[in-house]
Amino acid sequence: MDNNAMLETILKCNRCGTCQDVCPTYQVSGDEFSVARGRLRLIRMGLENKLDLNNEPDIDTFINQCLLCKACEVNCPSSVPTAKLISDLRENYTKLKGLPIAKKVLYRGLFSHNHRLIPIRKLTRFYQKSGIQGVLKVAGVFPSINNLIPEMPKFSVKDRLQDIIKNIPNPKKKVAYFLGCSVNQFFSQVGEATINVLQANSYSVTVPELLCCGAPHQSSGDIEEFKRLAKYNLEKLSGLEVDAIIVDCSTCGSILKEYDELFKDDLKYKEIAEIVKNKVVDISVFLLEWGYKINPNNDNKMKVTFHDPCHGVRGLKVKDAPREILKKIPGIELIEMKEADMCCGGAGSYSIFHPKISRKVLERKLNNFNDTNTSVLVTSCPACMMQLGYGLRNYSIKGEVRHLVEILAEKL
Amino acid sequence: MLNKKNIRKLTELVGGEDYLVCTKIPLYTFSYDASQYFGNPDAVVFPTNTEMVSRILKYTKESGIRVVPRGAGTCLSGGAIASNGGIIIAMNKMNKILDINPANKTIFVEAGVTNKQIQNAVESHGLIYAPDPASMNVSTIGGNIAENAGGMRGVKYGCTKDHVLGIEVVLPSGEIIRTGQLMGHNDQIDLTYLLCGSEGTLGVVTKALLSLTPLNSDVVTMTAIFSDLGDAGQCVADIFASGVVPTTMEIMDNTLIRAVEDYTKLGLPKEAAALLLIEVDGYPSEVQGQVPKITEIFKKNNAVSYDIAKNENERQALWKARRSANGALGKLKPSMIVQDVVVPLDRLAMMLKNVSKIADKYGITIAQLAHAGDGNLHPHLLYDYRIPKDVEMVEHACDEIFREALAQGGTLSGEHGIGLEKIKYMPVAFNEASIKFMKSVKEAFDPDNLLNADKVLP
Repeated sequence: MDNNAMLETILKCNRCGTCQDVCPTYQVSGDEFSVARGRLRLIRMGLENKLDLNNEPDIDTFINQCLLCKACEVNCPSSVPTAKLISDLRENYTKLKGLPIAKKVLYRGLFSHNHRLIPIRKLTRFYQKSGIQGVLKVAGVFPSINNLIPEMPKFSVKDRLQDIIKNIPNPKKKVAYFLGCSVNQFFSQVGEATINVLQANSYSVTVPELLCCGAPHQSSGDIEEFKRLAKYNLEKLSGLEVDAIIVDCSTCGSILKEYDELFKDDLKYKEIAEIVKNKVVDISVFLLEWGYKINPNNDNKMKVTFHDPCHGVRGLKVKDAPREILKKIPGIELIEMKEADMCCGGAGSYSIFHPKISRKVLERKLNNFNDTNTSVLVTSCPACMMQLGYGLRNYSIKGEVRHLVEILAEKL
Repeated sequence: MLNKKNIRKLTELVGGEDYLVCTKIPLYTFSYDASQYFGNPDAVVFPTNTEMVSRILKYTKESGIRVVPRGAGTCLSGGAIASNGGIIIAMNKMNKILDINPANKTIFVEAGVTNKQIQNAVESHGLIYAPDPASMNVSTIGGNIAENAGGMRGVKYGCTKDHVLGIEVVLPSGEIIRTGQLMGHNDQIDLTYLLCGSEGTLGVVTKALLSLTPLNSDVVTMTAIFSDLGDAGQCVADIFASGVVPTTMEIMDNTLIRAVEDYTKLGLPKEAAALLLIEVDGYPSEVQGQVPKITEIFKKNNAVSYDIAKNENERQALWKARRSANGALGKLKPSMIVQDVVVPLDRLAMMLKNVSKIADKYGITIAQLAHAGDGNLHPHLLYDYRIPKDVEMVEHACDEIFREALAQGGTLSGEHGIGLEKIKYMPVAFNEASIKFMKSVKEAFDPDNLLNADKVLP
């Protein structure tokens, strides 16, 4: 969006205040500069040249405190796309000033080249398993970062693909599985579960060699890099002869579905992006539509609740499918938590760059989980799993965070 | 402007920097409410208990600093704007529910509690807090009391003042007083009703004891569509005259129907001239008797069609549509003034038509919404503040709407308050003696004229 279009869009906000009700950062802070209405006010003043958005250090702080969870967008009676406006603004800012160094290392350095995550996982695992973690904890070094990181798996999903992928004769459907960076490296049990569940239900699975979906780059405004990754992925994905592209990471899924918007001025890629968009589907929706089996004899009693990832409920617009699946599993009782669709504060790397407010948003989510008296917090996004898992460990709350597919894989 | 010493003292009074805002950028986000007015405060303080409010007001009185109280900042008449600098005393972090007594049907809350928080807290007891302004999801009870907020259930259950049993208020001097049932006895001059609706000019409400209402077992929600706005208005008057007292009677005109439908996608009739939303509640026998009476009156007033919500989901969807009306108009034009005039019910149809005529005369868009059951009209005047002609025409239209309402035996404001917006019409609506007396009341409470000065009184 150019500046004029941005201003016209912002003028649709008549400051009715509805966003206060759903904005996680406002709900935990009560500060007007931490709500969509306030952020839009500042952006508007910038566009009207009453403020220099690019040279006010405070502006960056307030605008970047947005989780981009889109709760305000879907609840805004005037449909003001606040998250989109803030993303565009970050893009301009990044163009002008470049990425802050920490983000550059994290996003361009690591996620852009996903093989570089391998040594990170291995080193972290070594650190967690070798006893050094215990020593450092006692010594008081890294007081909280320890808990943020889930226990690292020994192998990535890619390491084990040869053993997992099976030949399915006469498959019901042929699917490609979009294996996201976080699932591959940090939650490989989720990736394996996804493949196992699909194959057990007679869907043949291929796992194409792809790059990061570009979510971290998009959210920090590094559009140049985002486009490079998207182009690569689109070329690979559009060449596949499959009926569907399955995602088990809500973030990757919703970003893949935004590629067409990214290339709205590039006819060639826009066209490919639209074809890919129509094939991308969340695993819960796919299974509900094309069928899946559940072992009726495996009816261990379990009380669960479901947390909607922002990119699931508002990105992919998936709300009912995972719940329907959970309800139909013998032995499982689904108890809805309050504010199930409110952001957990993870928001990718948000918890690293805005620890204070991220913690408050998380605490609210954990309280809502506690109130359900369930033992399993089910969700469908690795970024949420990381944040929620950290929350349970750090606050010593009984219970575990699991991906929907992990539960399904156990019930095969 | 505040000096460093003032800031230091205020920081100390609220208990630290986390409860005070005094830097440029964040202050800009306290420069507005939901009206068309803007004004930058010099600082914002967030007290967390009554004693803090008291100490702050003592200090501002000593130092001659102006104070504007603020809840959620959803005022439609500019009441929460620091129009002449000074500090904003933001009450939204004083948000604890202190007691719920289901047997007595009361709730005792701090002023920063939102209306929605109250509804959620009492729901499990089968109770509601009856006043339900459209902003109820975010607006605070302190703000509701200051503006004497109404709501859609107002037809049957009344406004905020009908449900406030007593309040704790900090006066501009810093003294703390309690009114009504918070005094524990009834032989008093009850100041509750004077303070309720005083728009934050007499004191800062810190706590409130509210009465709760049993949730009626049976609810029927109906919509009727009209091809003439006047017919919808007459329909409302006829229903009332027939002796039926619905919980709600809301009229939306064509402009509003289209704006709301764009957002909600409920399938509202985009061609209709008017939509009437009616809800009745009570015991099943009571409700079942009312529905046929109402549908009869729909027919008599040429309703094109009518519908009854089949389940709770349909009902909630209609309510969401109605509550989003104000915000949804934002997408039509960048600026909006919401009028709040009230006319006697038998003049409603005429008033709706005359507002349409005024819109035509000045060539502007006026979206009409009405809490029709109380004769309370909300003409939304939509314009672009960047076009001088627009601004001028809207001002003329506003003047004429007010004159028209007064000529029909009505008044300036049903529930949004006078604020900054309607001050200039006060001398038209009230005679000199009335205004003089209101001023003497203001002076008794606030002799230095520091609390929400420049509001309400000319």
